[in-house]
Amino acid sequence: MRILLVEDYLPLQKSLTKGLRESGFAVDVTGDGQEGLWYAMSNDYDVIILDLMLPRMDGLSILKQLRVKNKNNHILILTAKDTAEDRIKGLDMGADDYLVKPFAFGELLARLRALMRRRYDQKCPCLKIHNLHIDVASRRVWRGDEEIILTSREYMLLEYLAMRAGQVVSRTDIWEHVYEFNSEASSNVVDVYIGYLRKKIEKEAEPPLLRTVRGQGYILGA
Amino acid sequence: MWSLRLRLMCGMIGGMVVLLIGFDLIVYHIISRVLFNQFDASLESAARILSASVEWDDNKLDFEFDVEMVPEFTGGTRSAYYEFWRNDGVPIRKSPSLASDDLIWFKPVNHPHTFRTFVMNDGRPIRAVAVNFLPRTGKNNPNAADSPQSLILVVARDTGYLLAQLRFLKYLLSIASIGAIGLACAVAPVVVRRGLTPLSAVAAQIDNIREDNLKSRIADEHLPAEIVPIQKQLNSLLARLEASFERERAFSADVAHELRTPLAGIRSIIDVTLTRDRDAAEYRSALSESLSAINNMEAMVAKLLILARIETGQMTFNREQVRMAELVNRCWCPFSGKAAAAGIVFENHLNSALVWKSDAAGLSMIVSNLLDNAVEYTDRGGRIWVTARKTDVGIEIIFENTGNQLTGKQTSEVFGCFWRGDSARSNTGVHCGLGLALVKRIIEALGGSVCAESQNGLFNIRIYLPLVKNGL
Repeated sequence: MRILLVEDYLPLQKSLTKGLRESGFAVDVTGDGQEGLWYAMSNDYDVIILDLMLPRMDGLSILKQLRVKNKNNHILILTAKDTAEDRIKGLDMGADDYLVKPFAFGELLARLRALMRRRYDQKCPCLKIHNLHIDVASRRVWRGDEEIILTSREYMLLEYLAMRAGQVVSRTDIWEHVYEFNSEASSNVVDVYIGYLRKKIEKEAEPPLLRTVRGQGYILGA
Repeated sequence: MWSLRLRLMCGMIGGMVVLLIGFDLIVYHIISRVLFNQFDASLESAARILSASVEWDDNKLDFEFDVEMVPEFTGGTRSAYYEFWRNDGVPIRKSPSLASDDLIWFKPVNHPHTFRTFVMNDGRPIRAVAVNFLPRTGKNNPNAADSPQSLILVVARDTGYLLAQLRFLKYLLSIASIGAIGLACAVAPVVVRRGLTPLSAVAAQIDNIREDNLKSRIADEHLPAEIVPIQKQLNSLLARLEASFERERAFSADVAHELRTPLAGIRSIIDVTLTRDRDAAEYRSALSESLSAINNMEAMVAKLLILARIETGQMTFNREQVRMAELVNRCWCPFSGKAAAAGIVFENHLNSALVWKSDAAGLSMIVSNLLDNAVEYTDRGGRIWVTARKTDVGIEIIFENTGNQLTGKQTSEVFGCFWRGDSARSNTGVHCGLGLALVKRIIEALGGSVCAESQNGLFNIRIYLPLVKNGL
């Protein structure tokens, strides 16, 4: 899942980026309002974490611009402004969630997971495709009773495919939602990771879960 | 302290008592004078009639008519008396009402008649008039030498009835006054309460004003003209209070906001670091970043403390001889490295002989904050320079730098607490917007003033320090 973090206070920006990446998110970061708007307009982020007081363009202006241009990204406002009026204003302008600084990093992660579920119309925190179980909170995967150990990138790929289970997911979609802006582009990097994932989750005795749809992409669990 | 209501009531009732007593005394005095004047007039009239109706005949005094037939001279409850004397005090004739008694003989003094009040032997109060007259001579008294030169006639009448009337008047006035005072005591509280109703209404409105609704004002509808100035002053006071509370609230919110961001940074660093086991270098890095954020918070809190001390008058300033050029150079040292890295040129144009009597620590804080600010916002390769101008009333020191990005409106706001131009937002947690506010407060505490200007890409801050005349 890909996140845009727009936060100008460097210590917070650095620690959040580190924590989110370690938690399995692809994270693009900027501390500038105008640059944040450009990032948001250029990519389809699953969630945008937006500070309100930013240089060059404030967070509410970015939010307004995105909603005016029909960008439907889920937006979480992360700010030190804590009054009820500020929260109401932020949510009424189109934000999906509002978290006041200082906050527990675990709470931020839980809110991000909730936003992800809403984005992909999921209610259950555990994803289940046939006998493949994914616990999103602990980031653990089982096929039947056997736990499957995945790398961070493999897990991100599987989680994205599982969120869109039953749908054909293009390579571009995967690239946009699993890889960061600065990742080195490679024509077959997605295919390579799909190969790794397939080796780990498919069992000979079990029916195949991840199929390739020629010329279109991949589909999990259909 | 007496209540206003009690004061008004006591004033009203006390005033009424004094007025009624005064009124009673005047009325009593006037009526008694009128009655006595009438009494005296009737006495004088009786004396004139009696003196005109007697003649000296045959060595005795005769009446032209039978005076003894006049009932009041014959005795009774409202008796009148007369008695004739020779000029030498020898009684000649008296009224039957006197019986064996005599009136007091007295002569008119300086007037044809004189009045006198006295008590008869039996204790009756009487009032008498004495007239001196020359009686007519009768036919049987041809020898004028035998006729008396003049006679004294004293006519008197009981004053008991008159005094009884006056006593009755006195009782009547006293009872009427006591009744009026009693009525006033009953009515005064009602009148005072009704009169003070607007004050009670204002008090109720004030009572409803709490610290969270200082926007409300005291309405002037139905208020009497005397209370309108008080209502206006109270509303003005409320407006000042509201502005002051609003400033306090905004300041507290700004402080909370400015502390929340670095606090969020520190918490996030610790939270993320604790999510898994890490090597020593990562822990060291996390601690170092946290310490840096804490240092920035500490600097902000220190500035807030200085601001609070200045505003509560707890900051003391000394007066000493300060070498200004040296002070500016000393304050520049901490920023010289950062300025050199950004290619910023610094020029101190202050005369090395310039000495000013002021507080060295306060001046250091001012100059350090101004130079810190200048280094932060001067463009790469830009220039910062300091000049001074001495006048008859003080000294003006100008800090100027290139790379100004502020508009005129923003320039006028730079001395506000927590104010930061947009370009400063990227330094959240490092520059909290208190430096220039602190500069302004210190300069004002030193008796000076400060202003900022920006034009043609240049930004300058001018500080004015007054000449200290008392030699401190």
